[in-house]
Amino acid sequence: MDRSSEHLIAIFFVVAIFITGLVIVGMGSDSGYILHGWLILLVAGFGIKFIADRMMDTDTSQALEYNDDIIKLGILACFAWGILGFFIGDWLAWQLAYPDLNGDIAWTNFGRLRPIHTTAVVFGFGGNALMATSFYVVQRTSHARLAGDVTPWLVLGGYNLFVLLAASGYPLGITQGREYAEPEWYADLLLLVVWVAYLIIFLRTLARRTEPHIYVANWYYLAFIVVIAMLHVVNNLAIPASFGDPKSYSLFSGVQDAMTQWWYGHNAVGFLLTAGFLGMLYYFLPKAVNRPVYSYRMSIVSFWGITFLYLWAGSHHLHYTALPDWVQFLGMAMSIILLVPSWASVFNGLLTLNGAWDKVRTDPAVRFMLVAILFYGLSTFEGSFMAIRPVNALSHYTDWTIGHVHAGALGWVAFITFGTMYKLVPWVWKRDGIYSIRLEAWHFWLALSGTLIYVGAMWNSGITQSLMWQTYDSDNNFLYSFMDTVDAMHPYYVARAIGGLLYLIGALIGAYNIYMTVRGPERTKSRGHAEPVIVPGE
Amino acid sequence: MTHDAVLVFSKSWGAVYLLTFFIAAVVWTYWPKHKKKYDDASNLPLEKEDKPWR
Repeated sequence: MDRSSEHLIAIFFVVAIFITGLVIVGMGSDSGYILHGWLILLVAGFGIKFIADRMMDTDTSQALEYNDDIIKLGILACFAWGILGFFIGDWLAWQLAYPDLNGDIAWTNFGRLRPIHTTAVVFGFGGNALMATSFYVVQRTSHARLAGDVTPWLVLGGYNLFVLLAASGYPLGITQGREYAEPEWYADLLLLVVWVAYLIIFLRTLARRTEPHIYVANWYYLAFIVVIAMLHVVNNLAIPASFGDPKSYSLFSGVQDAMTQWWYGHNAVGFLLTAGFLGMLYYFLPKAVNRPVYSYRMSIVSFWGITFLYLWAGSHHLHYTALPDWVQFLGMAMSIILLVPSWASVFNGLLTLNGAWDKVRTDPAVRFMLVAILFYGLSTFEGSFMAIRPVNALSHYTDWTIGHVHAGALGWVAFITFGTMYKLVPWVWKRDGIYSIRLEAWHFWLALSGTLIYVGAMWNSGITQSLMWQTYDSDNNFLYSFMDTVDAMHPYYVARAIGGLLYLIGALIGAYNIYMTVRGPERTKSRGHAEPVIVPGE
Repeated sequence: MTHDAVLVFSKSWGAVYLLTFFIAAVVWTYWPKHKKKYDDASNLPLEKEDKPWR
């Protein structure tokens, strides 16, 4: 596809989004909905101007270099959403310990803030990290510049508009009430267009590659993109009540609706928070320690294992419900088998590090990656275990689930992201190294202690909660009222909030370190530094 | 086609399909002829050159 036809197709879609914004502003009756209409008009209008400027630009020559500017934007968006998401998460943790902290206003109650936290960390922090790193990896391993002149910018801009629409809608009461799929129909349609465009530029870059083989990290990124597209479409099949209102109604009902939702929910974990970040691991870990992945073939076998098994595991979220038993057992069996390809990646990562253990001591970024692998191993084992029906009878609806999720999210997803970012930022901004190795180490230790406190507190609280719920007296009556269990949780909730605070402080230090690196001087050709400089990849 | 028939089909042939695919993927990946291709590929991230070829 040449440059001008790309511009025409792009402008068609951005104008369509602009018109949607007009319709919302013109017909909307709900104030939050109208605000979203204006946001769409603003961003789409900016997009139209951006494409128009590129169309007028007669200088079509393009220097032969990688498109790193788009990666820089993705990294900045990743950190911005990350800080917001961690802050809201810790605020919520304090609210659970001291409920008065919601200020007694509707907008800041737990139910409205919680999806802002999950959306900001999963889609804002995680999604932008995956987009930025996937653009880096696909270009480098294909020896080809990212396809598209304007499309990458529209993809990243449109994606962040989607996250903004999502997060700003919740306090105003705009939600589908589907966990991790809360955004309403108009935001979902926007994401659909953006996601298909993302898939197209990724595939077109791969098609232009000069290597015969597609490096395995790209397979993981591609699985993430394809499966998220599929999940997003199916789980959001809904009919809007009218164009004047954000509310829509799902095409499914009852247990089918629940199964669709958890097929989506679990695979969002499997393909966004796992497959995508494994792609990151398989490229940035070998690069950081300057050793090829221990077994390339094992990484391929684990890829097929993960992609084929994850899709069946979602029903373990619905144990002992109206879902047919055989579907529950299917989800349980697949979840247990899933441990094998998951741990294959864990051992592959650890054995890649084998022989470079000195780097774990001297390079905090590698230390971040090592801990990420360990937490990936821990949380995949825990997840398989919790999917077993009798274990789930103990763990479900308790804080153990929250602990499990955060072992994965804080310990695996965010650790691999931070480790990668400390390497990637100096590379794309062409800096000698990170601003301060010392601050990087502070970030590492704060994040690690925060995670351990958080997860430890939630294990204790979850088991205590569950055992109290299941304690009967001699007449088979409950020994504890629900309120007793809430009171018993208080010390754990305070501990959790402290753990979260440490994690947040670590992330703030990380963001400052990244900011100072970006502001710092460009890489010097001859290294005239008095003090030794850590050089990435050497 | 009844619910039970679909169930029996998916329980039996579903397992066969997954197992066949798994064996095919392992055989393909570990086939000796493919060793060089994968060894070369595993070194892709380690290249020092930072310029695209096209």
